Amino acid sequence: MKLLTHNMLTSHVKGVTKGYPLLIKATEVKMNEVEFNPQFVSRMIPKLEWSALVQAADELGQRQDLPGELVPDYEKNEDFLKKVHRLLLEVEVIEGCLQCPESGREFPISRGIPNMLLSEDEA
Amino acid sequence: GESSGTIEEKKVLKRQIKASHTLLKHEGISTTSQPTKSLVVANGGLGNGVSREELSAVLKEMGELETLIMHPHKPYAFVTSHCPHVHLNGEKLQCGGNSVTLYLSFVDSVTCEEEASVPLPEGLVLVEDFVSPEEEAQLLAAIDWSSANDDITAQKALKHRRVKHYGFEFRYDNNNVDKDKPLPAGIPQECLPALELCVRNKHINIMPDQLTVNQYESGQGIPPHVDTHSAFEDTIMSLSLGAQTVMEFRHPDGRLVPVVLPGRSLLVMKGESRYLWTHGITPRKFDTVPACDPQSPALTPPDVRTHSNLTLSKRGTRTSLTFRKIRHEPCRCAFPSACDSQGAPSTSPPSPPSLPRCHDDAAQLEEEYVHRVYDAIASHFSSTRHSPWPQVCHFLSSLPPGSVLADVGCGNGKYLGVSTEVIAVGCDRSSALIQICAERGFQAFVSDALSVPLRSATCDACISIAVIHHFSTQERRLAAVRELVRLLKPGGRALIYVWAFEQEYNKQRSKYLKEQNKEHPENHSPINKASEDSHRPVDNIQDVSKVTDGKLSVHTNRTSFNTQDLLVPWHLKEGKRQGEEESGEGSESSPVPVFHRYYHVFQQGELELLCGQVAGVKVQSSYHDQGNWCVILEKDSIEMN
Repeated sequence: MKLLTHNMLTSHVKGVTKGYPLLIKATEVKMNEVEFNPQFVSRMIPKLEWSALVQAADELGQRQDLPGELVPDYEKNEDFLKKVHRLLLEVEVIEGCLQCPESGREFPISRGIPNMLLSEDEA
Repeated sequence: GESSGTIEEKKVLKRQIKASHTLLKHEGISTTSQPTKSLVVANGGLGNGVSREELSAVLKEMGELETLIMHPHKPYAFVTSHCPHVHLNGEKLQCGGNSVTLYLSFVDSVTCEEEASVPLPEGLVLVEDFVSPEEEAQLLAAIDWSSANDDITAQKALKHRRVKHYGFEFRYDNNNVDKDKPLPAGIPQECLPALELCVRNKHINIMPDQLTVNQYESGQGIPPHVDTHSAFEDTIMSLSLGAQTVMEFRHPDGRLVPVVLPGRSLLVMKGESRYLWTHGITPRKFDTVPACDPQSPALTPPDVRTHSNLTLSKRGTRTSLTFRKIRHEPCRCAFPSACDSQGAPSTSPPSPPSLPRCHDDAAQLEEEYVHRVYDAIASHFSSTRHSPWPQVCHFLSSLPPGSVLADVGCGNGKYLGVSTEVIAVGCDRSSALIQICAERGFQAFVSDALSVPLRSATCDACISIAVIHHFSTQERRLAAVRELVRLLKPGGRALIYVWAFEQEYNKQRSKYLKEQNKEHPENHSPINKASEDSHRPVDNIQDVSKVTDGKLSVHTNRTSFNTQDLLVPWHLKEGKRQGEEESGEGSESSPVPVFHRYYHVFQQGELELLCGQVAGVKVQSSYHDQGNWCVILEKDSIEMN
């Protein structure tokens, strides 16, 4: 699971209203090399929930010097875009789980795949 | 020096040497030039189509023989004699009308895979020649298969063998008997003499009151089963009339005991053989059975449970009369693990599912006939789903760069990599298929389409290709569409593809139908013509479901759809195992597993009507594509309440 995907995922346990973002508990993280496309990253940023990305980066100890808020004119800031690219696309959680911040329910991540299936009574 | 023989003799010797090398190399059989009492007959085996009778006939010319051993599937046989037949070594014989050349060599010992004779299951007794040929004819004549007797006996045409019940009807939906509803006709009078003999011979104490007659044609059988404990008393007797067959008994620990049931024999099952072992008849046209040579009794082996002296027996029509006594008290046998009176689960055969009427039933149906199937067939399925459909690609390519795309029911990720401009994420109910997505480097997670763990209004576009037709109620299909719409941002678009009831559109047969020669085509259903004119949703969709009793029928691939709700077979193709021998018709090749997937195929206009029930979204376009009905939905730009 890449952090781009994590940014989109939410807890859908019945009755939960504050299920986003999911907490990440990683036991195995992998770094990939992905071709840097500044235009693509630029376009991704407006689609993101920035604070959730920062929180995720913190949880994984990958925050480095990522700003707590979006910098203005980021489209031309290659340095910044590279940091975002790395976090969103190159960091991958292989093993661990995602935890609903409200209910505590854990969704396992195995071989890079989050299993978000709910049981009968949770749906 | 002396000439060592004619050219012909030299040739034979060369082939002889080659044959013996082959035997040694592949079968571990070492030949010797020293005269011994044992000979190996290369090329004279059941494994290369030589029957015992043929081989016996040829070898008899050579002299007195003691035993003839033919292992199943092996291309050779062993012959032993009381004294060495020196002249047989190096002999070349023609067999089977000169079509097979046999090479004989001395061997030091007969390599015998002969196992110790496997005993019959405890409680099993086989009595041969229980009835005379005349009695057999009378009994067969007493069974009237004509449907004129429908009101008297319960005659059903089961998918395979023919079945008829007397006394009480045995129900195959729950593998039990309606004890309160005796049939008008009891056991026929013609059976009484045989039953009285059973009592006299102490096979039974009480006369049975239920009879089930099964008629098996060659190639038909009955799956392994234990007769329901709570339905019948201990002793069950089966009289075999007509052709012989092989019945297989299986113990829970894996032991398999094949038992030949000759015509006119009585099989008595009691105790462990009745309560614990399953019995069944594999659907086949040939059985491997012990050979019986009336002229040389010494050459006839005990039975098929040892591996020697086997031959192939072609099946004919066999009629079995199974006599049972209805049980009225709970079963108190010593085998609780198989006993439904003592808590073991009733072994009902997988009955065809019915159309569900509530969410729970629907979820259960989908679990068995969608989710479990996809997990089982994932890699084979994925290998057949490699070409993205052009129209879907067109939709994806039309999305602005940087669009967030959710592929709900993404399967093997076929569409996740089509557009490099979009931010794509997929989800599917099948972990096995999502695993394939991950292997391909796509971002995907496991979830249900009815509850997608993405926040509302976060997707610029959604696709759901060949997914919604797997939901077994209209409510669930509607809920699936609602979920897609929830994910969309205002102005966002969704593309939905579902299988069409009408496979031929505008006189064009779908690709599915066109692929007539494909092995095990798992394609769409039959042709029901749709007209291009009525592009608007049809006002009243005809109810084409002719499902009897609400039961789902299994669709025959490449034929017309008769109903909208059906099970579609998938024949699983696995890689052929290495070195698997082909032994002709007599072999028991492992059957191709068949899975059934549930589908609700949509009629023209039905998908549009369904989407029309969702607030805040409009059908932008709808079309027919390769046997599918398709819609593009657009979410209202301003959220309406």
